Amino acid sequence: MKILFLIFIIFQITHINADEIYNLLKIPNLEIYKFKTDNNIRFLNSKKNFKIGVNNNISCNKSYPQNLDNKFPIIQKNINFYNSDFLNKINLRYVVLCEDLFISEINTGGIPDTEKRTLILDINFNTKYFERMIHHEIFHMIQKSHVEIFDENHFSSFNDVNFNYAECSTCSDRLNLDLYDVTNGFLTEYSKSIVSEDMAEIFSFMMTDKIKLKKLIKKDKILEKKVIFIKSAISKIDNNVL
Amino acid sequence: MIKAIQASKSEKVLFVFLIALVFFTFSSFFLLKNKCLFVEKVNLNKINFTDPENVVVMNIECGDVIIELYPELSPQSVKRFKTLIENKKYDGSVFYKVAENTFVQAGDIEFGNIEYLDYSKIGSGKSGLGTLKSEIDEDFKFSEGSVGLARSTKFDTEDSEFFITLKEIPIYQGEYTPIGKVIHGLDILGKIKTGNKGVYVLRPDYINSFRIFKSN
Repeated sequence: MKILFLIFIIFQITHINADEIYNLLKIPNLEIYKFKTDNNIRFLNSKKNFKIGVNNNISCNKSYPQNLDNKFPIIQKNINFYNSDFLNKINLRYVVLCEDLFISEINTGGIPDTEKRTLILDINFNTKYFERMIHHEIFHMIQKSHVEIFDENHFSSFNDVNFNYAECSTCSDRLNLDLYDVTNGFLTEYSKSIVSEDMAEIFSFMMTDKIKLKKLIKKDKILEKKVIFIKSAISKIDNNVL
Repeated sequence: MIKAIQASKSEKVLFVFLIALVFFTFSSFFLLKNKCLFVEKVNLNKINFTDPENVVVMNIECGDVIIELYPELSPQSVKRFKTLIENKKYDGSVFYKVAENTFVQAGDIEFGNIEYLDYSKIGSGKSGLGTLKSEIDEDFKFSEGSVGLARSTKFDTEDSEFFITLKEIPIYQGEYTPIGKVIHGLDILGKIKTGNKGVYVLRPDYINSFRIFKSN
């Protein structure tokens, strides 16, 4: 049995790609896309498809140069909203650019990983929500790096007493990212999935469409409380972000 | 009466060619097997160092690798490295993680010694001295021959494992604690056994001895 186990381990480890980026981030097939930036973010792109995670449940395809060159200015513009000090505080240093990102066979725009200080972004993600998605995923890094500031129970208490979030973000059918005409405390259908997604949706609008959000909170008291909560929490980390 | 048959000129040439071919085949077989054949050896007695206390000599299969340490850059890490060297903890430590022409890594004292190699746990061993705080220098560039302390995915988890870069690796800047630089023996490190397509090596090469230069 022990020999079988050893053979299994040997088989597994000999198929890992041997390069310096893999050694650091544990993501294979990456290369440097842009290394020197004002806020010290290092952009990497996937030169081949890769699979990572438990049972290889995360997959993403190679990024084609033309797609990459088209999307990169948008990505960099949005990442540049954050200074290097703030990015350090939220454990973000590497942005991995690839196409058609899936987690457990569900298409997703981004996957944040604060431990490896990496954000994987799908450059093919729906253009309509693309910029907002970047900030949405960054919020998850903010929250994970500063759990103590984002009291989910307190945030949930702003909702109507009869409202319940779903058990998890992927186990509900509340996935639409379009802005509601009538908000009633929630900006999008996806906001209703779980607390952290609700927070992330608010933050993403704060970063991409402040004016619209200002108008909305004038008519929506629940949303106003939520916006104040997020603003106050973010200011505890950095005053210059919002 | 049988006439003596004389070899023609072309037959003689062919015969000489065959003899030469057999000779080259055998000699190449023995020469190629010796991976250390063309490695330049260094005479340690002929070298003078200004700060010999911060020069260490790692002896591996193909010869001596000389490393200059940077105590001013990473005092605690260099101190740990020297302590482990002085206590001969690196003797027998295997280069279990090797990326061809990229980096070599050794120093798992608990599970990565040639005498007691544990493939299921290698890379997770402890020195028993505790972990160290990362001593990152944002400006330090990991060029060919840079020596750094390895860590887990988190900072402040350095212990005994170290790596040596065999080429410039810009992405390591600001990621790892630099502790020194190879000043002789990069070609020797290039001969360390790699793991085919993988980063982990089966039946790896190992450190014969690791000493501080002054006491060498």
